[in-house]
Amino acid sequence: MSLILALAIALTVAAGVYLALSRDLFRCIVGLAVLGSAVNLVVFAAGRFGPIQPPIVSAGAEKLAEHAANPLPQALVLTAIVISFALLCFSLVLGARLRQQSGSDDSNQLRNAEPLPADPVKPPVLD
Amino acid sequence: MKISKNPFELAPAINNSRNLILEQVMPLLYGVILAAAVWILWRGHHAPGGGFIGGLTALAATAAQAIVFGVPSALRRMPLGPMPLAVTGVALALCSGLPATWFGHPYLTHLWFDVPLGFTQLPLSTVLLFDIGVFCAVWGTLSGYIFALLRGSDATSPGEQS
Amino acid sequence: MQATDLKPHAAKARYLSVALPPLAGFLLLIWGLIHHPLPWQGSLDWAPSLGLTFAVYVDGLSAQFLALITGIGALVFLYATGYLAGEPRQGRLFLILTVFMLAMIGVVIADHLLLLFLFWELTSLTSFLLVGFYHENEQSRTSARQALLVTMSGGLALLAAILLLGEISGGYSLQALIAQGPTLADDPRLPAALILLLVGCFTKSAQFPFHFWLPNAMTAPTPVSAYLHSATMVKLGIYLLARLDPALNHLLLWESALMSIGTLTAVWGAVLALRERDLKRILAWSTVSALGTLTLLIGLPNPGAGLAVAAFLFAHALYKAPLFMVAGNIDHATGTRVIDHLMGLHRAMPWTAMAAILAGLSMAGLPLSFGFVAKDLISVAKADAEVLTVVSYATLFVNAIAAAVAGIATLRVFGGPPRWPRGEAHEVSWRMALPPLLIALVAIEFEFLPGVADPLLGAAAIAIAPSLGVIRDIDASYPSGKVITATEITLLVGLILFLIWDWLHGLLQRIHWLDRIGPTACYELLLKQLTRVAAWQTGLLQRGRLAGYLSWTLTGLLALAIGASFAMHQASEPGWGGLLDWSTLVFADWPAQHWAWLTAAVLMIAGAAASMVLRHRMALLMASGLVGYGSAVLFLFTGAPDLAFTQFAVETALVVVAAALLPHYGAPPVLSNEPVLRNALLALASGAGVLLLLVHLFALPADAQLATWFGEASLPLAHGRNVVNVIIVDFRALDTLGEITVVMFSLLAALPLLGALARSVKREG
Repeated sequence: MSLILALAIALTVAAGVYLALSRDLFRCIVGLAVLGSAVNLVVFAAGRFGPIQPPIVSAGAEKLAEHAANPLPQALVLTAIVISFALLCFSLVLGARLRQQSGSDDSNQLRNAEPLPADPVKPPVLD
Repeated sequence: MKISKNPFELAPAINNSRNLILEQVMPLLYGVILAAAVWILWRGHHAPGGGFIGGLTALAATAAQAIVFGVPSALRRMPLGPMPLAVTGVALALCSGLPATWFGHPYLTHLWFDVPLGFTQLPLSTVLLFDIGVFCAVWGTLSGYIFALLRGSDATSPGEQS
Repeated sequence: MQATDLKPHAAKARYLSVALPPLAGFLLLIWGLIHHPLPWQGSLDWAPSLGLTFAVYVDGLSAQFLALITGIGALVFLYATGYLAGEPRQGRLFLILTVFMLAMIGVVIADHLLLLFLFWELTSLTSFLLVGFYHENEQSRTSARQALLVTMSGGLALLAAILLLGEISGGYSLQALIAQGPTLADDPRLPAALILLLVGCFTKSAQFPFHFWLPNAMTAPTPVSAYLHSATMVKLGIYLLARLDPALNHLLLWESALMSIGTLTAVWGAVLALRERDLKRILAWSTVSALGTLTLLIGLPNPGAGLAVAAFLFAHALYKAPLFMVAGNIDHATGTRVIDHLMGLHRAMPWTAMAAILAGLSMAGLPLSFGFVAKDLISVAKADAEVLTVVSYATLFVNAIAAAVAGIATLRVFGGPPRWPRGEAHEVSWRMALPPLLIALVAIEFEFLPGVADPLLGAAAIAIAPSLGVIRDIDASYPSGKVITATEITLLVGLILFLIWDWLHGLLQRIHWLDRIGPTACYELLLKQLTRVAAWQTGLLQRGRLAGYLSWTLTGLLALAIGASFAMHQASEPGWGGLLDWSTLVFADWPAQHWAWLTAAVLMIAGAAASMVLRHRMALLMASGLVGYGSAVLFLFTGAPDLAFTQFAVETALVVVAAALLPHYGAPPVLSNEPVLRNALLALASGAGVLLLLVHLFALPADAQLATWFGEASLPLAHGRNVVNVIIVDFRALDTLGEITVVMFSLLAALPLLGALARSVKREG
């Protein structure tokens, strides 16, 4: 069973990478989102898939039951989800603004940070 | 609500057509969702929930309000503007670690008190303060995005109009 | 640049005050030397966990350098106020000079090797700023860069040497290292450390083949040349060599490298001095030559050489600094430093001429000067050491050229009938005339007041050569007949060289190939090739394309991951067999909720596959949402309700946000020549890597240590039953604090973008 989940995660990673490598800015950002989910899953998987019992100390008990889920990856992933959401919102806004400025969805056309060089040290970038 | 050329399905609901049922239910719904958010925040230390999830729930209330009645209405029903709320949240979380230093513990060591209310004890802690900080930061920040995107053509940034 | 006395008195007084700190330092040093016996030491904890201490150790050698740094420093500062009068940027110069002085003091008093390195690099950096002071001049910039590159590369070598030495000796204390001395020899890493150390010292002290930066550094303002590039900074390499000599002089590599490179540098510098017409550059080459002599002397095995080093170090600083100032004065007065145009200046500039003559006496090693004592001690040291004949003759030749250079700088320029380009040469202001005269006088005074010179030099000599024992009276070592003869021969040859200078110069000028094959040419070539390599790899790696950067990063990451996992596998189970152990792939875990897991997997796979092929943007968004919902379902059925809820909420919000922003993106562009195949391969490789990682991971037993700890500590320590929440808000609260701050800042950063977005939408319609 875990193998099927591992396959699903791997495929998600592949999809994320594939989308992120696209020159279309929007696809690139969506790729970032997919990749984010995939990475969260990998972190989560490091704690093993297993019990359905949430990591909550049941009333009366002093410590977590043996068959409860691993709390550590959950804590890591929980904050990661929110952070990556903020990151994605920011990327989407940034992408929209860049699109508006350059008039192109092609990320290769975005050359604000690295304009085609007039500097002799840097070779012209071939397109 | 002046996003033009909006190709996606949600557009009519967001833009100009009014949804009468939603408008009737919304005031109540807003209160219920927000109460649920606070409840999730409150019980988060012992049961599923917490600041992050509570903040997202509160965001749902705000987003729904903004979609049905518009951004200004949603802004009015928030305690602070998005950015101030987020800053307040981070500041609360920052401050929650300070009392410990007064007692000689490392920064962010949490403390617990039981406040007697006569009939019962109200458990308070700096950890709750911290979680409220997380709640506010998440709620403020994300609603800031939602407002800015829903408002579309309004020139001002979302924090300024409240 | 006119030496102007028109400036308001206030400004003049302000700039005069810059000379006070070094002067105060000098007086403090003298006071300390009188009242407190050397060595002085102290230590201040800096970063104890890293073994860094601010350890200070001042012995005779340090004290000698301190005297040079503060004493000559005070006069150089005074000189600079005159030299740069009216220059608007002189504040900057004084600031950098002061920083430089402090760094110099730091190097010579530091006992901790890393501390020494820190200050050492600071002197290189300040030297760069000072050489490039006239940065509007291209020559100046080139020279500054050259000085920086050469000395900083040497600095890196020095750092490596220091780290190696630290490893070998088990500590970074200079004194402890010296005390260990001969026991170091057994370590196989020592030769490497020595070579790196030598490179570091040789670059700093302009030894062959790293000498070329020093004459070029003469583009600096003259006070800088006098201070950094003759009296103090270039002697740092000598300082460190002399400092470590007691620990290393039993090594053949050390001795032979110092002697051969020292001799070569001395002769090479002396010969190239003959090729120059610019007075300052002539002096610079003779400085190179003197530095070579110092290196050679340190390499001499006998303890008497220590005394010679100390004496010559002092003598050289005391005559070379005034001569540089004299060159600056001449430049100031006549507008040129080219010796062909200069004659008979003694009438116009009597005080400068006097300073030049006094310093020249010392440089030529004529009797009655301190230079004479120094040359004398050198001769004695060499006689004692029984050096190779070739070294003897070489030093004789070098000394003769030094004498000839002294003649050029004094007799030729100041003697004879008046002739100079500008109509009217004038004596410079007292602030420029006094310092060289004073320093030159000190050099003479030393000769007559051995009571002052002997203790200082003696203490320095003992630091260089501890076996020297009680210092004999320096004067008592005076002339055996042989030495006198040597001095006479030197002076005679020097006189001849002086007389045929122009002929020699013409001869050497015609040897053009020297320019083509020298170290300078190599440096230029290296620099050019470096630029080309940089351009090539920039073109390869940094094309300014997002996808390109991502590809490179991923490729690197994949290579790392493959390497690491292979190494891990080899460590646990050597050999190729079982790299993919199929038995680990057969999973017997079919828990009760496996249908939910299957659903999650199907959702994720469907979403991932769809997002790869879909082009319509809304559809793409929905497909990506499917992946998120899939993982939410998985979370829900693996005991993570918090995660499941968060993921659901976030995924929904994301789709809403992205949908709201969709109008700002255009229709999906048709991008031709997109390397689809390459991207797909990279994506597949990444996926395969992750799959492999997970499979291996699942085969390992889970490490539940942390989970167990958190599970046990949650309630007693943090009074919370929801362990996930307790970790977030209590055990790892600082992380969470950082994370919500990041979340908040993302909005702060997005606000201006959102504003711009909204404004331009409004404009459009």
